[in-house]
Amino acid sequence: MKPMAEGCNDKRGLPMIDLLDAYAAHFKAYIALQLQYRAELVIWLLGMVLEPVIYLVVWSSVARSSGGQVGGFTPAGFAAYYILFTLVNHATFSWIMHEFEFRIRNGEFSPRLLRPIHPIHSDIADNLTYKLLTSAVMLPAAIVLSLVFQPSFATPLWAIPLFVPALALGFLVRFFFEWVLALAAFWTTRVAAINQMYFAALLFFSGRMAPLALLPAPIQAAGNVLPFRWMISFPVELLLGRLSPSAALAGLGIQLLWLLAALAVLHLGWQQALRRYTAVGA
Amino acid sequence: MATVLLDQPTVFPMPAARHQPLPEAAIRVHQLRKIYAVHEREAGLLASLRSLVRRRTREVAAVDGISFTVQPGEVVGFLGPNGAGKTTTLKMLSGLLHPTSGEVRVLGYVPWRREKAFLRQITLVMGQRNQLLWDIPAADSFELNRAIYRIPREEFRRTRDELVELLELGSLIGKPVRQLSLGERMKCELAAALLHRPQVLFLDEPTIGLDVTMQRRIRGFIAEYNRRHGATVLLTSHYMADVEALCRRVIVIHHGRLLFDGDLATLVERFSPHKTIVVELEADTTLPATQLPDDLRHLLASSGTAAPADGRLTLRVPKAETARVTEQLLRALPVADLTVEDPPIEEVIEQVFAQPAERHETYG
Amino acid sequence: MSQLRLAWVFFRLGALNELEYRANFFVQLFQALLSIGTALAALSIVFSHTTALAGWREDQLVALLGIYFLVGGMINLVIQPSMERLMEDVRLGTLDFTLTKPEDSQLLVSLKQIEIWKLVDVAAGAAVLLVALIRLGAGLGLRQAAAFAAALLAGGVIVYSFWLMLATCAFWFVRVQNILVIFQSMYSAGRWPVSIYPPWLRSTLTFLVPVAFATTVPAEALSGRLSGQTLLGAAALAALLFAFARWFWRRGIRHYSGASA
Repeated sequence: MKPMAEGCNDKRGLPMIDLLDAYAAHFKAYIALQLQYRAELVIWLLGMVLEPVIYLVVWSSVARSSGGQVGGFTPAGFAAYYILFTLVNHATFSWIMHEFEFRIRNGEFSPRLLRPIHPIHSDIADNLTYKLLTSAVMLPAAIVLSLVFQPSFATPLWAIPLFVPALALGFLVRFFFEWVLALAAFWTTRVAAINQMYFAALLFFSGRMAPLALLPAPIQAAGNVLPFRWMISFPVELLLGRLSPSAALAGLGIQLLWLLAALAVLHLGWQQALRRYTAVGA
Repeated sequence: MATVLLDQPTVFPMPAARHQPLPEAAIRVHQLRKIYAVHEREAGLLASLRSLVRRRTREVAAVDGISFTVQPGEVVGFLGPNGAGKTTTLKMLSGLLHPTSGEVRVLGYVPWRREKAFLRQITLVMGQRNQLLWDIPAADSFELNRAIYRIPREEFRRTRDELVELLELGSLIGKPVRQLSLGERMKCELAAALLHRPQVLFLDEPTIGLDVTMQRRIRGFIAEYNRRHGATVLLTSHYMADVEALCRRVIVIHHGRLLFDGDLATLVERFSPHKTIVVELEADTTLPATQLPDDLRHLLASSGTAAPADGRLTLRVPKAETARVTEQLLRALPVADLTVEDPPIEEVIEQVFAQPAERHETYG
Repeated sequence: MSQLRLAWVFFRLGALNELEYRANFFVQLFQALLSIGTALAALSIVFSHTTALAGWREDQLVALLGIYFLVGGMINLVIQPSMERLMEDVRLGTLDFTLTKPEDSQLLVSLKQIEIWKLVDVAAGAAVLLVALIRLGAGLGLRQAAAFAAALLAGGVIVYSFWLMLATCAFWFVRVQNILVIFQSMYSAGRWPVSIYPPWLRSTLTFLVPVAFATTVPAEALSGRLSGQTLLGAAALAALLFAFARWFWRRGIRHYSGASA
């Protein structure tokens, strides 16, 4: 029996279909895998929900002591902002920058590099599977938070269909940048410090600590040229009805630009990381 | 007169290429070099201070100019002590490492370009690191590989069933991988690595840490797989039994250099200039040393054997002397049984490793 | 003379070690400063919109922040690593090595693992606290200082006992590691005074996961809000929890030894 000639594999079809097939197979495997760690999955969520609640309470308190509102936000407005922020943050976050150091140390990268598929795909699949499973907890949590904090929404109808691409783009921009951040592990073991810098920037410029409108003007200005606003804050502002239609569309355009920038950085970063890895070894 | 084999090969691998016109070489390596820069610092306080300011680097050649060619369907064994450069070579052949200099072509591709078409035709199995997902059954990981390697479903089913049968996996693939023993896990890893029917197999210490039965089974599997599919196999191992059972051709690497490339039999012949003669004397024989002829006594002394213990004499003699010494022994002593043996292959290999790094012998 | 020689040897080894880990120190310092800087920046953003948060002035909140990092540093220095090590030892069965030593087992496991670099966090937290105290200026009498020290001690004992109780659960439930993550998450709420939270969260942070006693109560002592009642309550709770934790620990040891026999 002769070994398979290369041509036989190609008759399967277009590469895109095969990629989707690969994703489907990944989802199946990762769902089975992650379900084994149900308790851990839920416990991770605790911090993700608690932090916005803390800021919500702090800012509501400030609003109450300042005549009922701060920067256009009432306590109910803050509630709406932070509950929505929790959901969007959950939809866009990743943990990949903590994992790479572990992978490199344990030589887990080599099997990934031997596969005829870019290693980012299995990470995307892993990430989306986690969100699929944990949304079963996050959505009820959001409902409970709404019952407790009584948010008020002023969402215009046109914003709802625009929210979907805004969220998707926000996810992609954030994921790609964080994947590049994770590549730092190829060069240093001090990734904790690098990650901390990233999260500090994220804390202020993505609207996590406070809605961007409440930040001092120079910080807001800086935030506009950074990608963080477009990762999380923009979809939230959009759905809260805080943007005019033209601003919303312009925002989507800026997200697209940032996506292109992220892809460029990803491509370059991965090339460099590969060069480093194959020079130095596992 | 038989060489002492620790394990009888079940199937002697026949390269399938023998029956076809000679195609392009499967693997071509020319003057391959891999040099690492290692930071060096001596012990001591002063050196520590100095190292803060200026770092001293030393160059270590993990692989230092090796060349060889492997034809399709060959099973080649890489022998060498730890740190000899075997694993580094395999990694360069599979694209995980970029060589410092030299040329490598595997199936016509340059490995570190990592072209998808290339990756789909090779596989690298490293004994300790796994590609199987830990907490789910191996069967699920197989499915994942099917999609990643774009294997048509029907073909995938056939290959998987064949591998399950050959490796005797049975119900093992339905259990989470973490519940399997080391040997069972290794078998599943092998199956996963072969689902896409690669043409070239790189196996790095595939039997390490396994018990003897499992080692034998895996050797048998590799031999059978090579026989059926004509895949090229490059195998590194510590265990002589692996190499003896599977590889007609052996490449010995030491200090990053190629010491020997050829038949196992030639290796033994070339590097073991001695034979061992074991003599069993008739019962109740005492042998005062004075009764022996002079040169025999010399021989005994020089080979480190003192007066015979419990009627048994073991002598190491240069190959050329074997016939003469045998005749002398038979004449001078009441011999009940006499055997002439090759030294154990481990000893031969140790001799080879003991060579200084300069030598290079090739036997085609 | 030999003592001098010995001292020189220790000094040399110590210096060698230090040079080796010099980088560790700077990285830890950088991270501590980044944490504190971030927290202070957040505070200043909040106070750009108001002058008081639930009655707390900015300087008082900076003091709270200092206490938060100081206590957090202490937890990460010895309590958290030792307790995590304890749970790992229980899981792997290597606790036996500790149990066969002649010292008290609870003491041994509590000091088993020390993350020496967290001292930087402790020092940084203390520095912030000091600066805040200086800016708070007068009004820090002996009584307040004593109350602060007592509150801090009580808080420390409460947190330690809490961790020990959680870790002791590992004797019965092997996969209890994740519970510790819960504490870390909830501790982050200690950056702000517990009184700003809605009642249900306040109770949780006081009685379920005793974050309030670790940070808010000592801070209240500093700003003169601490009633004698609360302080007494904290001390009583500390004594109670410590006694219970010790009793629970001994139960755990008995169970462990019995099980592995």
